[in-house]
Amino acid sequence: MTGYIVRRLLSLIPVLIGVTFLVFLVMQLAPGDPAQIMLGPKATETSLAQLRHDLGLDQPWHVQYFRWIGRVVQGNWGRSIQLKREVLPFILDRFRNSLYLTVLAALIACTIGIPVGILSAVRQYSVSDRATMVLVLVGFSMPIFWLGIMLQILFGLKLGILPVSGLQSPERSDVLDLISHLILPSMALATGAMAIIARMTRSSMLEVIRQDYVRTARSKGLSERLVINRHALKNALIPVVTVVGMQVGYLLGGDVLVEIVFSYPGIGLAMINGILARDFPLVQGAILLVASSYVLVNLAVDLLYAYLDPRIRYG
Amino acid sequence: MYRRKWIVPFVILVCMSLLAACRPTAAPTVPPASPSPAAPATAAPTAAQPAQIPQGGTIIVGLQAEPTSLDSVQISDYNSHRASYNIFDRLLEFKDESTEVEPGLAESWEISDDGLVYTLHLRKGIKFHDGTDFNAEAVKFNLERQFDPNHPYHDTGEFPYAEFTWGMVDKVEVVDEYTVNITLKEIFAPFLNHLAMHPASIGSPEAIKKLGRDFSLQPVGTGPFKFVSWTPGVEVVLEKNPDYWGKPPNIDRVIFRPIIEDQSRLTELEAGGVNFIVNIPPDELARLKQDPRFTVVEQPGMHTWWVAFNHTRDPYKDTRVRQAMNYAVNKQAIVDNILKGTGLLAINPLPPVVWSYTDDLQRYDYNPEKAKQLLAEAGYPNGFSCVFWVPESGSGMQQPVAMGTAIQADLKAVGIDCKIETFEWGTYLDKVIVPPEKAEYDLMEMSWIGDNGDPDNHLYILLSGEQWPPAGFNMGYYKNEQVDALLREARTTLDRAKRTELYIQAQKLIAQDPPWITIDHETQIVVMDKKIKNFKLHPTGPFRFQNVWIEP
Repeated sequence: MTGYIVRRLLSLIPVLIGVTFLVFLVMQLAPGDPAQIMLGPKATETSLAQLRHDLGLDQPWHVQYFRWIGRVVQGNWGRSIQLKREVLPFILDRFRNSLYLTVLAALIACTIGIPVGILSAVRQYSVSDRATMVLVLVGFSMPIFWLGIMLQILFGLKLGILPVSGLQSPERSDVLDLISHLILPSMALATGAMAIIARMTRSSMLEVIRQDYVRTARSKGLSERLVINRHALKNALIPVVTVVGMQVGYLLGGDVLVEIVFSYPGIGLAMINGILARDFPLVQGAILLVASSYVLVNLAVDLLYAYLDPRIRYG
Repeated sequence: MYRRKWIVPFVILVCMSLLAACRPTAAPTVPPASPSPAAPATAAPTAAQPAQIPQGGTIIVGLQAEPTSLDSVQISDYNSHRASYNIFDRLLEFKDESTEVEPGLAESWEISDDGLVYTLHLRKGIKFHDGTDFNAEAVKFNLERQFDPNHPYHDTGEFPYAEFTWGMVDKVEVVDEYTVNITLKEIFAPFLNHLAMHPASIGSPEAIKKLGRDFSLQPVGTGPFKFVSWTPGVEVVLEKNPDYWGKPPNIDRVIFRPIIEDQSRLTELEAGGVNFIVNIPPDELARLKQDPRFTVVEQPGMHTWWVAFNHTRDPYKDTRVRQAMNYAVNKQAIVDNILKGTGLLAINPLPPVVWSYTDDLQRYDYNPEKAKQLLAEAGYPNGFSCVFWVPESGSGMQQPVAMGTAIQADLKAVGIDCKIETFEWGTYLDKVIVPPEKAEYDLMEMSWIGDNGDPDNHLYILLSGEQWPPAGFNMGYYKNEQVDALLREARTTLDRAKRTELYIQAQKLIAQDPPWITIDHETQIVVMDKKIKNFKLHPTGPFRFQNVWIEP
């Protein structure tokens, strides 16, 4: 097991080098130049040349890349071109904000999605099953930015009970204030994931409860509750864990639409702004961080399989 | 099958109830405006000054995006300009609602007879927020830090405007503790205005030396407000400088919050999370003007939006074709229906707020018949086809795609078949700021926001034949010898009356030989809580909070 984890962690290195190299190449090949974008159409040729020199952009791309990699290894992730800040503390801060949203959204999605899926499966084709699945479809199909704006208008404006946007109220930094700001964006974020999880749980559960061992459990006189919760659920959860893992991994990269609608300072928004400004150090740093976290979440999911299904072992 | 029958009505029911639940929230009902005979909401709230001006209170501004820097000499976008402006003073200042200059950190100035040496007499006894003294050395340090690559603190930032603002400066000399001489390489008429622009903000040299690059995150100036904190992605907080050398502000604090999405920013204003916002969705403007809770302040900006012809290509070399295309586009309809009154119809490349502006020139009001006639005269009775470049968005570009599509339809109606190609803004800039042989468009959209309030900043920079890209900004490569001569003379003449005359002549010539299809001048609009009084927008874009007060 330990060997497996170590090997998986080591395989992270080539993946990340590949990712940064690709990102670097794409950013370099894309038309548009950070100096030009900073100065807008007003840039004179001399000021552009000066700015490119100041930013180190007049070097060939491979020199820029290896210089950057060399510094990253030493813990110096460079300074953002656009924001003039150190990249590492900035993206760690943004990443933490996205993590808050992801964790809360995943909690909401699982605590509602999984029980709903189980109930639907147990009462297949009942009215409640049908109704739930229609609602799930509606939830899944709702455009997330529209849902976000509706939540803002309903809870922020009409009811006036939750803040509309941002991470905290002016000049406040307490936990309660933070949580109140997290509720609406994580609700918007959770809706889609919740729908997927509910559907996945339902179909996986339906498959499992038709299997022989479940029949055996029933025939030995166990209560239906015990059969479902103790025996069926654990097996049914394996595909669900995969889906949750994928969703969490995806959300860790920050959901750009939700972050825009709620002006939420997450990593997705930072990356989009970075890309539009061709802010190479920021985008590369952020992608490196997000890619590492994605790989780690996948590893965690793989390890969770072994717990859920003892037949799965990693040598 | 019977099981499925009820699903369809059920789905419809769910959808309908969802829609019903949302309708009233999407368009909140607005109480009718109070019928009081007070000034209409659209007027600038230059309320009569009460005997006792209320003190205290906080303005929370909803900005379009996070500032990128709070060091005024490093900024190149409006959000940073607005958040940093009140922390600093400039050598000279623009007067309220005008681009005429008045004393700032320099209380008086002289220009030598040859027009090359500007002597500034500085105010005495001013201290930076960190307690150090403001003096002639500080001025020299701040200016040289920007334009001299060998200055020891040049590497404490990037200075996008240094070349534009100080490129004509030969040297800066300290005469005595409170006198500075700035010597120019050649006569440059608009220079005085440069001393009131953001690169003329003076920061504390001690703080710059101590903080280095972090100065842009913790600025120290002499201005009416002091920097308190900047939480990235959350807020920039400024507080009143009680020791300000001029009249200290009435309000205690100003907070800038980035709220990226236009609709969310408006919702946040209505929910009370902010009390001052920019960039109002045009569809909402009429409703907000009627809302007694808010004041809408408008100010025509130094902005122009146009479609440039590629003058190096046929048939755009022919003046008649360009005139015909100007007649063909219904500019008023674009202003009314797309911009919904957030712009002013443009008949001239120069915005009306800039001195020397004239409207006594050839106009091109919507007239498709005349357009067809001119096209026939030019030898294109059946029109032609063209490639029309449009950015998806961009600073000052308003609604580029919607406006481009309307222009395309109008041109189609007179037989000109344009194919629109859209680009992301960064890519777009890269592809349009190129020498003429590399330009791959027939028509392109562009806009410009004036920097220094001088006509030169619009006419010479955008239309002189000496300003073709990549060295200059004359995108479209317009060249008219007569216009060039007038513009060159005007920028090297110091006498204002003479310059005005030259610019008026130039505007008339430009109108007869149109370089662009000029569409509009964007109006600056902010909406704020009714209790905020005495706020005036400035044509150059910053928010001045020194004289504002908040009613209790």
